[in-house]
Amino acid sequence: MMPQLVTVKMMRPNGRPIRIWVPVLPVLLVLSPLVVLAAVVAAVACLVYRISLLRAFGTGWRIMSALPGTRVDVEHGRAAVLVSIR
Amino acid sequence: MNEQRKEILQMLAEGKVTAEEAEQLIAALERDQPAPAAPGSDVRPKGKPKYLRVMVDATDEGVASRVNIRVPLQLLRAGVRLAALIPAQALGEANAELSRSGVPVDLTQLKPEHIEDLIEHLADMSIEVEEATANVHVFCE
Repeated sequence: MMPQLVTVKMMRPNGRPIRIWVPVLPVLLVLSPLVVLAAVVAAVACLVYRISLLRAFGTGWRIMSALPGTRVDVEHGRAAVLVSIR
Repeated sequence: MNEQRKEILQMLAEGKVTAEEAEQLIAALERDQPAPAAPGSDVRPKGKPKYLRVMVDATDEGVASRVNIRVPLQLLRAGVRLAALIPAQALGEANAELSRSGVPVDLTQLKPEHIEDLIEHLADMSIEVEEATANVHVFCE
């Protein structure tokens, strides 16, 4: 299953937190022209380097599907960043 | 003392079994029961691991830093498949750069069919590095 929600939480050194929730599907829909363009560029690159298009897009989809559950939490002093993909 | 052991000792006291028989029964009982875990030992459930965890606690010039990363092992599988797509020429150049940096890893030997064995063995892996200013713990869960 592809990621549904990306949560980014940042704690600035002054102690004020910033929280951003990014719903992946709506954002992808909004950015769909760019996504299509990126897919075309990737397809051309695959053809140039003689890589199977099917395998390349299959692997890309696998990576997208494997992302949910990823969590990166970094704290340094009073500053902190948390990225969580669900 | 568990119930079965008590029953054996009761039978011995009542003269229903001899001391030798009681000893044999207790020995058989101990064989059937798993040894209790030592205090402080790793009690993580043994199953198929799902995540690779990297935890770092460090102090840098008096400032505490903490890194806690959880990566799904599924992503590792997908990454190896991605590596299989990289043209041989690029892999050769990457190998040369890795060797130059002191990491003699042959990326051309990284095959998707080997990844399952690798992940299976990762379940038993736990790396802990302790230094005066930093602790690193890498494990699967």
